[in-house]
Amino acid sequence: MLKIENLFAGYGKVQVLHGVSMEVPTGMLVTLIGSNGAGKTTTLRALSGMIKPESGSITLGGVEIGGLPSHAIARKGLAHSPEARRIFPTQSVFDNLLLGAFPRLTGARPKGDVQGDISKMFEIFPRLAERRAQLAGTLSGGEQQMLAMARALMLQPEVLLLDEPSMGLSPKLVEEVFVVIARLKSEKVTMLLVEQFAAAALEVADFGYVMENGRLTASGTAASLKVDPAVRAAYLGSAH
Amino acid sequence: MQYLPQLIASGISIGMIYAVVAFGYQLTFATSKTLNFGQGEALALGGLTGWSVTTWLIAHGIGVGVAYLLMIPIVLIFGMLQGAVVERLGVRQAIKTKSEAGWIMATIALGIIFKNLAENIWGRDALKFPSPLPEAALTFGSVRIQPMEIAIVIGALAMMLAVELFNRRSIFGKAVVATANDRDAAGLMGINTGLVIAFSYALSSMAAAFAGVLVAPITTAGVSSAAVLGLKAFAVAIIGGLSSGLGVIVGGLILGITETMTGYFISTGYKDVPGLVLLLLVLSFKPSGLFGKATIKKV
Repeated sequence: MLKIENLFAGYGKVQVLHGVSMEVPTGMLVTLIGSNGAGKTTTLRALSGMIKPESGSITLGGVEIGGLPSHAIARKGLAHSPEARRIFPTQSVFDNLLLGAFPRLTGARPKGDVQGDISKMFEIFPRLAERRAQLAGTLSGGEQQMLAMARALMLQPEVLLLDEPSMGLSPKLVEEVFVVIARLKSEKVTMLLVEQFAAAALEVADFGYVMENGRLTASGTAASLKVDPAVRAAYLGSAH
Repeated sequence: MQYLPQLIASGISIGMIYAVVAFGYQLTFATSKTLNFGQGEALALGGLTGWSVTTWLIAHGIGVGVAYLLMIPIVLIFGMLQGAVVERLGVRQAIKTKSEAGWIMATIALGIIFKNLAENIWGRDALKFPSPLPEAALTFGSVRIQPMEIAIVIGALAMMLAVELFNRRSIFGKAVVATANDRDAAGLMGINTGLVIAFSYALSSMAAAFAGVLVAPITTAGVSSAAVLGLKAFAVAIIGGLSSGLGVIVGGLILGITETMTGYFISTGYKDVPGLVLLLLVLSFKPSGLFGKATIKKV
């Protein structure tokens, strides 16, 4: 569904990604793990058009999307739940969800049942239902993370990009987030999950890539990466 | 002190004009963190265009009241187009290249160009604007108010309320607020934020043009006073806070009322001073404005 070939990207003169190639097949949950500063977030930002790739190809369902502005990419069906959540603080939880469906409400994507999907989000994330009329800026960190994921899902995306959904959350909330990710996987939502919390990510994913200094250094099924000695030593904290 | 209610009443209508123009400053600041320093000229152009349309309609046998009402939508559209031109020529590139100051000079330059254009089309002298309402003042106790002054307050509030309702109720309005909240995140929602910014410039100039035709019947239409008016409205936006809708109304009223008071109790020669002193005080003690929320610029 999502295919990246030889992607180079960065910020101004600082090049971060040095030729990244990876693939997210339809219905699969692919995870991208690596240490802080490896270029995982930059990869997602280049995919969703938040930064312009310098070169390389990104195709979504066979259509080239590399270098398009982010709003055009979203309208083609790529949803991005960004790092640090980036919810709209002065709008209600409900309105944040509506905005997630903006392309559907304005004719850029098939409309479907927007109200029904909001109800579904409230079923998946019951805390959001309780707070539907509350301003999003008043939510706790965990609730904001739930909202960011729900908002991205409201696009009814072809592919969902999740950037560090566990960041800054308590262990209990991290567990909740991963339960939701597992549920979305069982519903065949195509996802690319970026995580520093590699053990949990590999537990839930079908396939994984490991990134170091802007290059992919390993890839394979999540099960094989979990037992790979190098991956274990570097990211799973169990060298012995 | 027997004239106090009168002075307050007179200050309110001019204060609402400041509020509408200041509201225009807020609209573009919210979405793009940039301002159109040609708002005064946008107001003047609105007033002058309104004058031309109204006098043309009257010359074709339409009554002054109907002519005024027919003119308003034309002027609103004209204001939107003028604002779109400012955004396209003066602001878009500066935002794209993340220029800190390019848009300041560009919007001032466009303001001067519009001013010269207006002087060449309509002349330098202020034009008497036909009043759609009787000019005889109504008397409330000791207070005398022109009907047009009441119309200004109603018109100003109606316009700000309409924009607020649009922002809160419609999905496009919510997209504008989302862009103001977080431009990158709004882009991820499929919102064309460049278009939203252009739209906010159009709305901003529309507000100024509307203020121009509201105020013209009690003052005049012309470019000479416009620059000062634009600057005072900017002071109102700073006093009230660039992010608070209530702030511009309160700020506008404060400035309007202090002006009429100073004009009466001290001297009309000093009537601009208290507002500007207030501006300096606000900048010293509460830089985010009386109603603004303090924001920390992330580096």
